[in-house]
Amino acid sequence: MLTLFTAIQSRQVEARLEEAQVVAQLVRRCASGDPVAWEEIVQRFHRRIYNICYRFAGSADDAQDLTQEVFIKVFRTVGSFDGEKASFNTWMTTVARNLLVDHFRKTRNDRATDSIDALQGADEDGPTLAERLASDGPSAQVHVESRERREMVHRALQQISPDLREAVILRDLQDMDYREIAQVLKVPEGTVKSRINRGRAELARLLQRTYKQAL
Amino acid sequence: MLGETKPGMQCTEFDALLTEAIDGTLNGQRRERFEQHKAGCPACNTLFAEVISGVAWLNEVEDVEPPRNLVHKILAATSGAAQQAAKAEPRRTAWDRFLTQTRIVFAPVLTPRFGMSMGMAFFSITLVLNMAQIRIKDLTPHNLSHTYYSSQNKLMKYYENMRLVYEIESRVRDLRNASDESEREQKNRRREKNSNQTQEQNQNSEPDRRPHREFSRGQNAQYAASLNGIESFVISYPGILAKQRREI
Repeated sequence: MLTLFTAIQSRQVEARLEEAQVVAQLVRRCASGDPVAWEEIVQRFHRRIYNICYRFAGSADDAQDLTQEVFIKVFRTVGSFDGEKASFNTWMTTVARNLLVDHFRKTRNDRATDSIDALQGADEDGPTLAERLASDGPSAQVHVESRERREMVHRALQQISPDLREAVILRDLQDMDYREIAQVLKVPEGTVKSRINRGRAELARLLQRTYKQAL
Repeated sequence: MLGETKPGMQCTEFDALLTEAIDGTLNGQRRERFEQHKAGCPACNTLFAEVISGVAWLNEVEDVEPPRNLVHKILAATSGAAQQAAKAEPRRTAWDRFLTQTRIVFAPVLTPRFGMSMGMAFFSITLVLNMAQIRIKDLTPHNLSHTYYSSQNKLMKYYENMRLVYEIESRVRDLRNASDESEREQKNRRREKNSNQTQEQNQNSEPDRRPHREFSRGQNAQYAASLNGIESFVISYPGILAKQRREI
């Protein structure tokens, strides 16, 4: 069993190394002005960057605009990427995170009017989750419940503080390791772990409260 | 909670090991101490439960599908940026750099307020030049020197003419004074003559009917001298002026 686990781990490491080599080659080609390499980079990373932006900003429109901004920034500064300092994935996430923080600061006033109860308020006018579950069939019930739960988690993420949110998103939704997150957030690994724990706990408390009200 | 000493380890240590415990990478004796602390510390036990719950919630979250046209938009935006950069690069000539430097230098004066003042000043100068009938093309160094010397010449001529006029006027005044004196003398003489004639009539009883207006030789000489003086002054005036100029 242990041998199998070790073999799987070594395969994963090999796959990661191979991926890193391919990306490094793409970045070199892109820096020398190869448009095909740039398109390949966009194809590989746009989904991941879009999801980070979406989870952090909370809105699909904002996420789309921010993703474009991230790629424009990456396109302009790809020549300054140093593969020895960090992986391209980490570097790109850092660019995205910096833009997201700027966006967060710019839109702070807009959010100041939002109530802390927006999590519950979003469903006040429509039927409750229990009502919708009761009105659908069994398979539809599972589907609707799953979708609702994802929506609740997404809305709850917007309620926790940005420091905790970004740490949780990078760890639990983007599956980055602690060292990479520490590089992106420019804080020690211990701080990263502490933020992740607090973020998870706060999210759980928020969702527990909301879920009880919804049911 | 944090910093308190509880069975197995302190709460801060528990917090630091929490992520490893969740990830499943906490093994051996550290795992035992962790579990021991969790069992004996209600606050840490609650935290652990909340973190587990949070992770469970987050595991339900799936990646969202980005908009279909996102890649095209990104490529269009970045190709646009590349074209802009390519266009902007050759435009960066020496003239552009000069303009940029000029803008930086004149940035303090390139303000609406200063522009308004400059406009008013330009308008005033133009108005004054128009009123003085000065054309811009006359303001070349050659034309300016020509205007200066011609104005100086006119001024000198005017001054010299004025001197001539004053000289003539003074000579005429002298002449007039001289004529007045001669008239007075003549009147006195006529009066004396009349008185003598009256005495003779009284003696001869014959009236004298001849006109009495006559100039004496001395009076004529005075007039002639005055007229000759004016004439000689006018004739010799250019020579006097030339001499004065040389002296200056």
